[in-house]
Amino acid sequence: MPIESAVPLLLDNPFQRGYVPSIVYVSLYVSVIAVTLSTLVSLPIGLVMGFTQFPGKQFVKSVINTGMGFPSVVVGLMVLFAVSNQGPLGALDLIFTKQAMIISQFVLATPPITAISLAAITGVDENVRDAARALGGTRLDVALVVIKEARYGIATAVLAGFGRAISEVGSVLIVGGNITSADGISKTRTLTTAIQLEARQGRYETAMVLGAVLVTIVLLVNAIVVRLGETGAMNR
Amino acid sequence: MIRLSNVSHSYGVEQVVDDVSLDVEPGEVVAVIGPSGVGKTTLLRTMALFLEPDAGTVALDGDAVWDAAEDERLALRRRIGMVFQEASLFDASVARNVEYGLRVRQDWRERIREQLRSLAGSTNPAAAVEDALEVVGLADKLDQQARSLSGGEAQRVSFARALAYEPSYLLLDEPTSDLDPRNTGLIEEAVFEARDRGIGVVVATHDMHQAERVADRVGVLLGDGFTEVGPTERIFDDPSDERTRKFISGELVY
Repeated sequence: MPIESAVPLLLDNPFQRGYVPSIVYVSLYVSVIAVTLSTLVSLPIGLVMGFTQFPGKQFVKSVINTGMGFPSVVVGLMVLFAVSNQGPLGALDLIFTKQAMIISQFVLATPPITAISLAAITGVDENVRDAARALGGTRLDVALVVIKEARYGIATAVLAGFGRAISEVGSVLIVGGNITSADGISKTRTLTTAIQLEARQGRYETAMVLGAVLVTIVLLVNAIVVRLGETGAMNR
Repeated sequence: MIRLSNVSHSYGVEQVVDDVSLDVEPGEVVAVIGPSGVGKTTLLRTMALFLEPDAGTVALDGDAVWDAAEDERLALRRRIGMVFQEASLFDASVARNVEYGLRVRQDWRERIREQLRSLAGSTNPAAAVEDALEVVGLADKLDQQARSLSGGEAQRVSFARALAYEPSYLLLDEPTSDLDPRNTGLIEEAVFEARDRGIGVVVATHDMHQAERVADRVGVLLGDGFTEVGPTERIFDDPSDERTRKFISGELVY
């Protein structure tokens, strides 16, 4: 389909009012929270694995590396079982909610964020760690210095995690259910699940428009993170 | 006074520092000379309270360091500065590097406030930061990025970074071995300035001429502890130990 024919669609807006913003909102809400949680878990793991030796470290490493290639539909299935009525989290009544989607995105985003952060953290010169300590830094100060020194690598890690989360279809479809409420506003429908729905129903033009929105968001987030990294470098 | 008493340290089976005793007073420069691999760095790291010795005691002004609780030990450690052979500056501006020691000594509320201020773009370096950079002749490089400095400038910033928080003792591990004569001279002048401020300075070096130029006292480390510790002039002119004499005259080659 030629691109030009998709442009008027942006102007005509074939969707119900508020529909597109609501799926953008759900996409961002789920991905941002999941990636934030993943980062909060990944950085301490990366610091501990980067600084200390412990038995089973190699095993943990291979678990993380396996996690990077874990099929998302399988993660979706596992989370679905966990939150279903008979599952261990059944009492929380999370099935087909954004929270369930956050859980599955968290499981998917954490391995790449941890692995890439770990590579960045181990890349920080040991002499720099020594210097921070010699200048009177506590363990926490030294860890903060390492995070600052590794900030570009960590930003890359977060971006990779975000990219995986926001472009993911399989697991959010399974645990979220691609639901809109009666007034057509998205409950658990994301950009990706909306696109696959449009495409399946043969509405390729609208699918393309939503695809363009998704790509724009990913590019914008990349630009913001890179920009933050640069100003951070200037002010530090 | 930093007092090492009968300190030993080994890595695995290899005894690196063996039964070493040394006192360092405020306002004096002590050079530790000896060939590479003889344990100078390990000795300095022990004095910097980085390493707990396998045997012997380390005391700072009478306080036995490794008997103290961890927070007391941090307070003791913070009275000592250390400059390494490599500058190892943080990837930030010169000012932020030199501030670092001051910053970690502030409480968290003050640190967060300062972080916000610097994000807003108003940085106002402390007088101590400017003063420390003045000592190494780099006051004009305040806003430059550390990674854009030359090797000699970076090492001088590294010295200023340790001087800025006014330590009682300053330990320099081969501080000029990678530097040209001019930068070496500037570091040595900074050593004198530190001494004049009442700081006790320890310089580990394999450069005997440097030891002769800067030190009030010299310790000669030849494998198994000091062969001799004494006033610079006497050690160089009239060593009482035979191995010291051979090392200084260049007969003892490692």
